[in-house]
Amino acid sequence: MTGLIDETRMALGSLGDAASGLVHPTIRLGVTGLSRAGKTVFITALVHNLLHGGRLPLFSPMATGRIARAYLEPQPDDRLPRFPYEEHLAALTAGDDRHWPESTRRLSQLRLTVEYEPSGFFARRTHGGRLHIDIVDYPGEWLLDLPLMSLTYEAWSAATLVASRAAPRDRLAGSWHAHLKSLDPAAPAEEASAAEAARLFTAYLASCRSDDAALSSLPPGRFLMPGDLEDSPLLTFAPLDLEGRTPGRRGSLQALMRRRYDAYVTHVVRPFFFDHFSRLDRQIVLVDVLTALNAGPAALTDLSAAIYGVLDCFRVGAKSWASHLFGRRIDAIVFAASKADLLHHASHDRLEAILEALLSSAAERAEFSGARIDAVAMAAIRATREAIITEGGEDLACIAGVPEKGEKIGKEIFDGNSEAAIFPGDLPADPAPALAGELEGDLKFVRFRPPPFAPGPWGARVFPHIRLDRALEFLIGDAFR
Amino acid sequence: MSTRTRHPQVFRLDTEGDKPAPPREKPKSRKLRRVSAPKIEWHDETAEAENLPARVPVRPAPLTRSRRHWGTVLIAAMAGFLSLAFGQWAYGLVESFFARSAWLGWTATGLLAAAGIAALAIVLREMLALARLRTLERLQADATHATATDDADAAARVMAGLKSLYAGRADTAWDLSRLVEHEADIIDPAGRIRLAERDLVAPLDEEGQRIIARTARRVTLLTAVSPNAALDVVFVAMQNLKMLRQLAALYGGRPGTIGTVRLARMVIAHLAVAGGLALSDTVVQHLIGKGLAGRLSARFGEGTVNGILTARIGRAALDLTRPLPFASTSPPALTDLMREVMRLGGGEAQAE
Repeated sequence: MTGLIDETRMALGSLGDAASGLVHPTIRLGVTGLSRAGKTVFITALVHNLLHGGRLPLFSPMATGRIARAYLEPQPDDRLPRFPYEEHLAALTAGDDRHWPESTRRLSQLRLTVEYEPSGFFARRTHGGRLHIDIVDYPGEWLLDLPLMSLTYEAWSAATLVASRAAPRDRLAGSWHAHLKSLDPAAPAEEASAAEAARLFTAYLASCRSDDAALSSLPPGRFLMPGDLEDSPLLTFAPLDLEGRTPGRRGSLQALMRRRYDAYVTHVVRPFFFDHFSRLDRQIVLVDVLTALNAGPAALTDLSAAIYGVLDCFRVGAKSWASHLFGRRIDAIVFAASKADLLHHASHDRLEAILEALLSSAAERAEFSGARIDAVAMAAIRATREAIITEGGEDLACIAGVPEKGEKIGKEIFDGNSEAAIFPGDLPADPAPALAGELEGDLKFVRFRPPPFAPGPWGARVFPHIRLDRALEFLIGDAFR
Repeated sequence: MSTRTRHPQVFRLDTEGDKPAPPREKPKSRKLRRVSAPKIEWHDETAEAENLPARVPVRPAPLTRSRRHWGTVLIAAMAGFLSLAFGQWAYGLVESFFARSAWLGWTATGLLAAAGIAALAIVLREMLALARLRTLERLQADATHATATDDADAAARVMAGLKSLYAGRADTAWDLSRLVEHEADIIDPAGRIRLAERDLVAPLDEEGQRIIARTARRVTLLTAVSPNAALDVVFVAMQNLKMLRQLAALYGGRPGTIGTVRLARMVIAHLAVAGGLALSDTVVQHLIGKGLAGRLSARFGEGTVNGILTARIGRAALDLTRPLPFASTSPPALTDLMREVMRLGGGEAQAE
């Protein structure tokens, strides 16, 4: 029943979109990525490049001079904060204090309007070449909640427990497991024990996310990034060991947990999805492959599973006249291995191969449904330069930049001020061993500080990037008709 | 890939020229771990392009076996014999001139030498022209390969070839400089080719299309008014050859006489191979159009047919002489060309 209602809701929404799209064509660009995949930086770079006429040779509307002007529209939705573009830009361009934007803690939205020279007869006479691009930024953790929409409390509980008992999570889950043993799901509900379980569960999720483990699949996302729900009862639940139990009676701990879980899904996850993700046109999936490679095979498998689960929630498929009536679909997806600037460009093909292997199941499904897909190694803002260092008769393809303070390779610890050239190791030509974890210790990618913001040709100050133009061309290039 | 794993390494860099010196709290006590200072070579696309390995481009095997057979031997032997005979005849002639008077002898020698130099120059020019045509062909093959397989080497060869082809031409200077600007960017090989096509070759396509339309229009008009069928044939052939030369010159393969003949042969072959396909898409309309024109006037109908044929030859020649295959931009459709051609009145007056 809920499925039918949802479908109707989406259909009505997209019918409205189709009507308004005749007058004001709008592209809803879904920037999808788990936390720290680089969503905020991507959006900031995208907006900055469009506003300031960046160097995007492969983004044809801009390169051929058809884009006349781009500007940020006043926030159309009064209930949502606007994407703090200026704030992020200031952080990136603060001279010696420059740093990457803080991780996103709340939802924000942005409408970018691009005026261009339309080439079609119809476009010329209706909207006169004006395209709105709507982008939403949100904490990546929240994305992990989307698969919960189709899970009951019992199913979620069981899946979470199974995962937490396998390596490498088991050693991080010790104190939570100990507390879990002391809980009886059939016992009368007690606020204190529920809160304690939630606290320990949250701590376990947080330790899974730390750099050493770098695991990705950690729902529910609001536990790690509560946003405005801090200390809300919506967040005081945790999985219980329900093996072989019947649904608990009223008033039991299990019933309380289930009620809260259902409330979480109904009041937090579903609105988040339907307000922002159910009506996307195009999607870019940012995947931080390199950090996962740093952490090892468990992180990679986890990342792959997390993304597969998330992408399952989106409506993907080729556009047709019917899709306007029965709900929008995403008809083009770019899978981007972000932060490709941590690697010499000669290895980008290999990075793309690893990304494709990692996401093969999700990509195949999208392709089967008729959507166009592309995989690309990308850096929305390029923080490094490239150099070949010849040492001992061997050419090492290095990248150079200013590593972040505290980053280390072997015994070297960087102070965040001096420049260093780094050889991060060889990516394998065949992605299989990388996914199987045979490269443990052979690769190390350090984070770099943002590049100094230098003026480009003709005094325009734009960020250097890697293949941002190719991704944009694939995503929105055809919208400038 | 080497079998030995190469481990991650760090090389400390001293302050680079383009970066303001960061304040150093602690002195650089940490030394490089190597005995000798490593040589650092900054990534510079132009340097890379010059140091390209000389690799033979991957090209499809020729369709015909080389026929170095008796025919060749015969021709070579005959040519050698004839040149010997010519040499003896000239030598005898000059000798007899000398016998008559010294100044007559010297004049004859001078004239002969001038003729020899001129012949040499012509041969050289023809060879150069053929080499230019071959460059275009090779570029096209490399570009196809680079686009299909994302081969970086092939793309670099194409870029170098395009640069040498269009350097020093006033009409491409601006487009070429725009292209060179992006040389140091990280762009995939296929993207590089697309970029070159859009920035450098597409502006030339417009001119090429104009050349074809102009020739087709002229052929149509003059066939319609010419008094004699034999004159028609000569005229149409001349115009077509001129069009081939113009197109080849436009794309940088300025052909000589032999080059033009070779190009004409290639065009005919191309038409025979691809013509069947291209014919089917628009031929119906054109035949109907011809029929209508033929109803109005038999001569005019013939003119239209000749015009269509010329436009088709032009399209084939454009495909052949273009240094890059059509990938990101679409080739000019015959329909568009014919629309150009059919704007008879005003267009022709302006063109002439």
